[in-house]
Amino acid sequence: MTLPSAVLNKALRKTVVQMVSRGKDGHIPSAFSIVDILEVLYRDYLRVDPRRPAWPERDYFILSKGHGCVALYAVLQQRGFLTPTDLERFCTRGGILGEHPDSTRVPGVEACTGSLGHGLSFAVGIALGLRIRQAPNKVYVLVGDGECHEGTVWEAAHVALNRRLGNLCAIVDWNGSAAQLMPQDDLPAKWRAFGWETIVVDGHAEPELKAAFDRFQRQPPETPLAIVAKTVKGKGVPMIEGHGLWHHRIPTEEEHRLIMEALA
Amino acid sequence: MAGPNLMRQQFADTMLAVGQEDPDLVVLIGDISHFILQPFAKACPGRFFNVGICEPTIVSMAAGLAKVGFAPVMHTIAPFLIDRSFEQLKLDFCYQGLGGNVVTVGGAFDYANLGCTHHCYDDFALLKALPGTQILSPASPVEFDALFRQTYRNGLLTLFRLPARVHGQAFSREAIEVGKGLRLTEGSRLTLIATGPQLRSAAAACDPLREMGWDPELLYLHTIRPLDTALIRESVRKTGRVLVIEEHSWSGGLGDDVLRATHDLGGIQYASLAIPDAFVRSYGTYEEHCEALGLSRDGILRTVAATFPLEKEVMR
Repeated sequence: MTLPSAVLNKALRKTVVQMVSRGKDGHIPSAFSIVDILEVLYRDYLRVDPRRPAWPERDYFILSKGHGCVALYAVLQQRGFLTPTDLERFCTRGGILGEHPDSTRVPGVEACTGSLGHGLSFAVGIALGLRIRQAPNKVYVLVGDGECHEGTVWEAAHVALNRRLGNLCAIVDWNGSAAQLMPQDDLPAKWRAFGWETIVVDGHAEPELKAAFDRFQRQPPETPLAIVAKTVKGKGVPMIEGHGLWHHRIPTEEEHRLIMEALA
Repeated sequence: MAGPNLMRQQFADTMLAVGQEDPDLVVLIGDISHFILQPFAKACPGRFFNVGICEPTIVSMAAGLAKVGFAPVMHTIAPFLIDRSFEQLKLDFCYQGLGGNVVTVGGAFDYANLGCTHHCYDDFALLKALPGTQILSPASPVEFDALFRQTYRNGLLTLFRLPARVHGQAFSREAIEVGKGLRLTEGSRLTLIATGPQLRSAAAACDPLREMGWDPELLYLHTIRPLDTALIRESVRKTGRVLVIEEHSWSGGLGDDVLRATHDLGGIQYASLAIPDAFVRSYGTYEEHCEALGLSRDGILRTVAATFPLEKEVMR
């Protein structure tokens, strides 16, 4: 799949690759498919404060597809929640960053995710709580398209609609993983069928992402929004784009050099 | 005998009372007890949600509510919250260090005629395996009310297993404390430990046991976790024999905990009345299931006679 993308964030991608090469674990393609989304969200929309990770007036971001967390760590370091040393200790016993995020240890991480199909339901609870308090905070949750095979995603989608949670935005990383197993995979139609306002964007194109997040700021208070983001696993480095071998592959020294050259 | 809905009514009454005192109490149900909870729903508008038939999502949602400072209560039939939603309890509450309250009905085989899909006699075992849990098994209304108020927002995940039958014993509210067992009769030669409605059977067995020559000491545990190890050890050290009576699987229940608590005392004789390693496939009433499983006064008498071959010493 080729998409008309804006200039990709190569610095964050390099950070991801360095973490995975050093820690000898991690999912590079899954991180690359969401890193542009996270960068735009954290830079321009999410109300968070690295000095006060538990600030009650913050917005919430839940990375439900926890295996993409290396991208989240790179963005959290960029935003000041994490230090370079935290990243250097990725997947080491002395570190706080593992291959799935731990909200009890990592500043800025809102949920312990990794087992797919939990994050949207958890986010629904947060959004419901904020609604009870009549608080203006917004809740964003990023789910994978493969994760949408989990039945709980649709339980939660159904509940969010019926509880009229317009303070909730689900971002679907539509990178084609799901269609490998179940080719009948019209995700936008599914979200629309569940009553969510649904828009489809290029998940690597900043203008489209900004238009989608701008729209969420004006979202009617009673309708949740699904942003189905068409993405490419491994986007930005041709040798790892697509599916298969690279899903959980750790680069060799030579591969690391080639990837870094591609991101130069 | 007390009526079968006393515990559920007390649950509704306690939600109403605590909900009016605490604006952070939120109740999520899976389409049971809807009508009995209407007083809470009316008194605490916007904090009662009959979410639907989607128990794993109810649990995750409740964790999300806890994340933003609420004290969530999840309520439906036990197997759907414990077995079906186990991973949500494990990860969304326990792993994340969030507190909440699981209030179940239909524990053990209370829904006797509904078959194994609606039974749940693995709840103690499963929740014990998770760090950060409490397991409460109250079987009188005042126990539930007192225990809930003591513990509902202490940051842990707490199971309240509400039985369909009460045990019929009267306790003062002051005597009820999370993690503290109750010594109901003092004795010297045999410790009976009961939890839940089986206290009724154990209490009924005491006089016949005395007539048989035993001098039973009766302990009642409404709290499975944290276990009152000190009380158990003190009693069993004295008597040297212990029989545990519980409506739970033989594996992973209170009996296993008692063994662990007393194994180093030496020379202890142990017996358990629990649900054996088999599904309760038959139909009938709760009382018929109890009788068939030996969870009854007569079952206790038979078990004591068959298990503790010390009658001469006892009769001396």
